[in-house]
Amino acid sequence: MSSDAPTVSDDAPTAGDAGPKIAAENVRKVFGRIVALDDVSLSVRENEIFAVVGDNGAGKSTLMNLLCGVHRPTQGSLFLDGRPVAFDGPDEARAAGIETVYQDLALMDDLDVATNIFMGNFPRKGVGPFSVVDWEETYERAATIVDTHLERDIDPRAEVAYHSGGERQLIAIARALAFDPDVVILDEPTSALSVDATELVQETVRTLRRNGKTIIIVSHSLDEIFGLADRIGVLYRGSMAAVTNTADVSTDELRSLMVSGERS
Amino acid sequence: MSTSNIVTRQFERIPERTVLVLLENMIWPILAVISLLILATVPRVFTNTMALRLMLFAAAPLGLVVLAESICLLSGHFDLSVGAIAGFSAVFTAMVLAEWNLVSNPVLGVAIVLAVGSAIGATNGIMIAKLGMNPFLQTLAFLIIFGGGKLALTTRPISDLPEGYVAPGGNEYVAIGILLASFACMAVVFRYTAFGQAVYAVGSDEEAARAVGIRTDRTIIAVYTLSGFFCALAGWLLTGYTGIVSPDIADDMVFSAFAAAIIGGISLFGGRGKLLGALGGVLLLSLVETALNVSGFDPTLIEVVNGVVLLFAILLYNTKESIRERVLSAGVSS
Repeated sequence: MSSDAPTVSDDAPTAGDAGPKIAAENVRKVFGRIVALDDVSLSVRENEIFAVVGDNGAGKSTLMNLLCGVHRPTQGSLFLDGRPVAFDGPDEARAAGIETVYQDLALMDDLDVATNIFMGNFPRKGVGPFSVVDWEETYERAATIVDTHLERDIDPRAEVAYHSGGERQLIAIARALAFDPDVVILDEPTSALSVDATELVQETVRTLRRNGKTIIIVSHSLDEIFGLADRIGVLYRGSMAAVTNTADVSTDELRSLMVSGERS
Repeated sequence: MSTSNIVTRQFERIPERTVLVLLENMIWPILAVISLLILATVPRVFTNTMALRLMLFAAAPLGLVVLAESICLLSGHFDLSVGAIAGFSAVFTAMVLAEWNLVSNPVLGVAIVLAVGSAIGATNGIMIAKLGMNPFLQTLAFLIIFGGGKLALTTRPISDLPEGYVAPGGNEYVAIGILLASFACMAVVFRYTAFGQAVYAVGSDEEAARAVGIRTDRTIIAVYTLSGFFCALAGWLLTGYTGIVSPDIADDMVFSAFAAAIIGGISLFGGRGKLLGALGGVLLLSLVETALNVSGFDPTLIEVVNGVVLLFAILLYNTKESIRERVLSAGVSS
């Protein structure tokens, strides 16, 4: 890492610091002999769009998996609302208010939008073991999420297969919103999307922020995050090479940080 | 221009959603048309209520095997061993009751036949879900093992079964009632429970289902266990229908089961279809067979006709899928 590279020390969290919404402090993650992340710190402010970028193998996925509970750090700590947290699986991260939309979206094409949104989490009616899926509530809540939180016109009763790539991304985001998270992590949300679809997803991310969500975008595409993220963290070979305001960095500088860990 | 092209162009004026709903429920207009054709050519089928009642009575065991197959298909899997499970369960229980004389209580007999079928089905599910066996090869192996197992147990028909064991299956109202209740019960389960929706999810995309928290292994094992249960129920009803258990009981049911399920709108690749549609497929198959029997058709050719029906079902399925793809593509690009 370059000595003149920007650091994160200006807003690195400390235990009890209620400033950032979600933060990692001096996190290290080792898989066998491979050090995937080494001494990584970041803090994401409430209602911020924060992008984590890096080349393939930089540690983006590992960092994302730490934040959403898939992995536990080998060393270091995670903080949520200033309190230290340790997630023992994605369910615990979800319960704490962190939802992740993975790159492959994990949508079931043959099922309708509402069923996809609530799969495994259906509104129910009845008592105990005699409760059943409440379809009326399912469709109503799906419509509310799509209309209110995403501000999009997607029919909850239409099959997912009926939708374009951009709309499928929105459906996956809607599923994350069904758990009413505070933090939404998006993994490569516009990769393989057309220009129109990319704009659709970017506008939706802005809508999420307007509706009070904190958003972390994990990406290797600079086009994806420029003009969208408030700040950008650049991972290089498992270390945080820089954290910078988007307005303070050029595409060339970011690209240089991604491939060499140094500003050009 | 292919048939599906022409049909698609005709459908273009109809709202896409309506087309998709029509495709998913194609069995009912087909059943109506076939019924009218039979009414016009072999009216005795409908004027003779006895023939109709017998048709439904005889259809009950097949219907339960179709239900078993449909449950597997909805989960994106299939089961070649449905007939073998039905037959083996029936033969094994008959041996317990009438040859080995281990049990004489008819209620216990019913419990045994259902337990045997469920256990075989569960084993299918465990081999596929936990050991990663290919469903085709796994259920083909069980088709051979349990199809041969029947003959290993006995080469002659077993009679002298307890009256209480055979009587329910020998009563047309009870048999038809069990068939309808089974379909209704499963239709409710698949529509209104998390398990039912999980089966559709696994059938649509197993990896995606796992990613959203569905315990896919458990779901697959439960699917095959349920399938084995309904196969065994079919074996029990067949025992009551004939009054004896012959070694070739339930042979070849698997082909009719596939045909009825596919004609009924169950997707060959899972995730789509309704169980009540499969019941429509059962009615269609039974109606055609009854019409052939009543009209004096050579019984030795019935199997040929069944094969033709299966071929028709697959052609219909391919056409339907082709139209569906075009409708969806048009919708996405519009």
